[in-house]
Amino acid sequence: MCRRASGEVKPERDIFIKHFKNIPMADMEIVFPEKKNPTLTPLDWMKFLISAVVGLVTVAGSIDMPKADFCHSIICDWLLCYDIFQCGKDSASIRSSYADERSWESLQEDESGLLRPIDNLSLQHAQYRRRIRNLSSPHTFARIQKGLIRYLYLVLDLSKAAGETDYRPTRMAVMAKYVELFIREFFDQNPLSQISLVTVKDGVAHNLTDLGGSPESHIKSLMSNLGCSGDASLQNALDLVHGYLNQIPSYGHREVLILYSALSTCDPGDIMETIQYCKESKIRCSVIGLSAEMFICKHLCQETGGSYSVALDESHFKELLLEHAPPPPAIAEYAVASLIRMGFPQRAAEGVISICSCHKEAKVGGGYTCPRCKARICEVPTECRICGLTLVSSPHLARSYHHLFPITPFDEISPTLNYQPDMSRGKCFGCQLSLSKSGNNSNKPSLCVSCPKCKQVFCLECDIYIHESLHNCPGCESLRHSR
Amino acid sequence: MVQFANVIVYSYQYMLDPKVAGIISKEMQKESVVVFDEAHNIDNVCIEALSVSVRRQTLEGATRNLNKMTQEINRFKATDEGRLRQEYNRLVEGLAQRGNLPISDTWLSNPALPDDILKEAVPGNIRRAEHFVSVLRRLIQYLNGRLDTENVEKEGPVSFQHNIYKEAGIDQKMLKFCYDRLHSLMLTLEITDTDEFLHIQTICDFATLVGTYSQGFSIIIEPYDERMPSIPDPVLQLSCHDASLAIKPVFQRFQSVVITSGTLSPIDLYPKLLNFHPVVSRSFTMSLTRDCICPMVLTRGSDQLPVSTKFDMRSDLGVVRNYGRLLLEMVSVVPDGIVCFFVSYSYMDQIINSWNETGILKEIMLHKLVFIETQDVVETTLALDNYRRACDCGRGAVFFSVARGKVAEGIDFDRHYGRLVIMFGIPFQYTLSKILLSRLDYLKETFQIKEGDFLTFDALRQAAQCVGRVIRSKADYGMMIFADKRYSRHDKRSKLPGWILSHLRDAHLNLSTDMALHIAKEFLRKMAQPYDKTGSGGRKTLLTEEDLKEMGETRM
Repeated sequence: MCRRASGEVKPERDIFIKHFKNIPMADMEIVFPEKKNPTLTPLDWMKFLISAVVGLVTVAGSIDMPKADFCHSIICDWLLCYDIFQCGKDSASIRSSYADERSWESLQEDESGLLRPIDNLSLQHAQYRRRIRNLSSPHTFARIQKGLIRYLYLVLDLSKAAGETDYRPTRMAVMAKYVELFIREFFDQNPLSQISLVTVKDGVAHNLTDLGGSPESHIKSLMSNLGCSGDASLQNALDLVHGYLNQIPSYGHREVLILYSALSTCDPGDIMETIQYCKESKIRCSVIGLSAEMFICKHLCQETGGSYSVALDESHFKELLLEHAPPPPAIAEYAVASLIRMGFPQRAAEGVISICSCHKEAKVGGGYTCPRCKARICEVPTECRICGLTLVSSPHLARSYHHLFPITPFDEISPTLNYQPDMSRGKCFGCQLSLSKSGNNSNKPSLCVSCPKCKQVFCLECDIYIHESLHNCPGCESLRHSR
Repeated sequence: MVQFANVIVYSYQYMLDPKVAGIISKEMQKESVVVFDEAHNIDNVCIEALSVSVRRQTLEGATRNLNKMTQEINRFKATDEGRLRQEYNRLVEGLAQRGNLPISDTWLSNPALPDDILKEAVPGNIRRAEHFVSVLRRLIQYLNGRLDTENVEKEGPVSFQHNIYKEAGIDQKMLKFCYDRLHSLMLTLEITDTDEFLHIQTICDFATLVGTYSQGFSIIIEPYDERMPSIPDPVLQLSCHDASLAIKPVFQRFQSVVITSGTLSPIDLYPKLLNFHPVVSRSFTMSLTRDCICPMVLTRGSDQLPVSTKFDMRSDLGVVRNYGRLLLEMVSVVPDGIVCFFVSYSYMDQIINSWNETGILKEIMLHKLVFIETQDVVETTLALDNYRRACDCGRGAVFFSVARGKVAEGIDFDRHYGRLVIMFGIPFQYTLSKILLSRLDYLKETFQIKEGDFLTFDALRQAAQCVGRVIRSKADYGMMIFADKRYSRHDKRSKLPGWILSHLRDAHLNLSTDMALHIAKEFLRKMAQPYDKTGSGGRKTLLTEEDLKEMGETRM
């Protein structure tokens, strides 16, 4: 596995040395899988110094030694030391980390047989553009109303099938990992919304956490309740969720997202009826399958207007899950404008002791105070326990705003146009870096995009940044201000 | 009705079976185009149309019918002798006797078809009704005597004719006219309840066929069923070996005849079997938007031992266990419906019993419900109905069925009703059957088709028919597992239809259970992804109007 220096270290002989700088990066990763750029650890330095001293002693022993050989021997010694050090490590751990990172997947062979890292940036960008286009295509012309206040029940199937190991280490662990990510992303994008967790095991559905806006409590409760057994029951889960969601006020959007790893459902009654109930209550049910397409899941999603997808692998699963983070378009007959009473609580001063309404105990420090009943609340957004007022903060509203007015996707400019001097002047409007040399391989002309409204040119990184995080086009904004 | 319709759709027994064709299809015009769809079994239908089997019950029923007819004749004699007289005169004149039909259209309605039969006059000794009835009585008596035999007997039509002449004094010409004479008599006696007189009609069919053909038939008398030797159940079978006899009039009568099916393979064998020269013979590939079928040949179990339903291996416990493990693994990864086909009812019973004893069946039931096809039609229909319901509601189900059974031939398991079909073994016919043996002999002598070739062809078309149940449209997808080591041999595999072969990759030819499991998982994930239904790039599968115009222009 390791590449050794050829030849032994004998000062009298010619020595062949493979320098690290001649090894292509790809090979390097195979030799030292967990290191991108091998550097010397303090231990290495110590070993190196010891070997250098030994080398010096040998040099002193021999009388006429050319200077070049001397240098070589030092490097060789160091190389061997490094090899021994590497091999000494537990080989099993190397192997497992090698397998876990799947470093071979980021390599591809070019026409001359050399291994090269895959051009991840352009791939990612292509993927992202596809997503943007999918999202924007139906509502470029008509403005679509979106449900910003969402009540999402996240149903996790923790049946026996979740213990399968086709996802590493188990489906359940992978699910938990990405659910955590999803919950954070969800609250980031929908600050006004609430989530509740439901698990299904042994044919029974449990409500793990009540509807709430705090990511931490959900994640904590999920992590402490992992463990799979028994059969899954879609009907029980839907019945439970249906019971809770029916009480949600009409302005909230009722959603269920089911992560389903089993291939069958063990139901106590007729599931078709339950699906009809969900449809009548306007609950949007979406399912992400972990193994294969099931007819009943597809039927459920079709009936209730949700989406059904099946994950190919771990990264695809993550992608599918995160697709549910931005708010879905509202169901047409449901999208009636209505006024909602909201309170903007003030943050209490530090060091004040008050009785918290959500934990029912005295707490020290900054909480929020309900503007109507003056009760103390730990976190916003939430609903006041005392008077039932919806409590939000103004940044939350502002952050939800961009979903309603998305930026139009930028047009791609073909590389030949890029060289027209009047077009771009060679610089990205966002980051002011030159477009011609951006991108790591200079032989390929880099792609760039332009905003259809202000005609400013952006590089790919800025494109992603503007659409995913900024939600404002710098070109259009500056135009508006200058006017 | 028939002459006003533009398109007529009916079962092709109506066209091929001469008894029925006479009633229904006689008004078709010569220019009509006849299409036999799903015609992979057409040779068997042809043969069945010209085969007759006579049991004790048939003979008893026929005797009853004759008694009734005698009564009728006596009644007519007393009341309306003129009618009988009239009939007699008509027969004397040698006219075609059935009403006023134009003579060119009468050919189709006779069970025996050579034209000469209608031009001859009915022989004198059966022209009188009472004479004819007594001839039939003698015939039945003779057949009764033949059925009393203790041994299996096999005879050609010629020697049978000879024997019957010696014993009962009925010559070949009389036999030949039995059917016509009976028909005429029934018209005269104004008998409308044909169901009641089915037995005597069977006897007359038999007589006419024996009297007409001296080749391509054999008469086999079996005193008991071979599987149950202790129960006497004598049966006399007149079996036809030559499929071309029944279809010949169709080829002669109509200008264009099209024979098509999804599983006509090998395509060059059909002209031989049906004895015709095809004008055009084409095999089309399927145009699919994606690789939505995944055939696999599984040759080994997870312990790497070969699996097969070969006679010496089929009851081996290792094979039975490996088949069980295969199904068990598959039910845990395949959603919704799975269909399994076995080679015979007895084998299915045996293997399910043994799975039950070893607990495999119980483990399968943890994942999916199990339904079994039986020989009872009502039971099977109920099982199918519940199977569909189990697939619909997401519980998942397995259906155990038999190749050549009702389910294998006519029921579709499309979409989620059949995501996977497993063919356990190769469904060869029961090779010790006397009828099959004599047919094989005949095929070898007449058409130079080797026994092995025909058996393999027949088994593989059944297998293809079974697995073809799962995929019925382009939007559908399904997997097929051929679980027998013999499928990996070229002579077997090459007889599968082209659309399966083109998807059968070399890597999928010699799989073990765990490899098949892996492929199944990958395939199901891939197929669950959304796809473009119209097809993209080079794989365009739907033609637009412009495409059609373009094609039209290039043809010009």
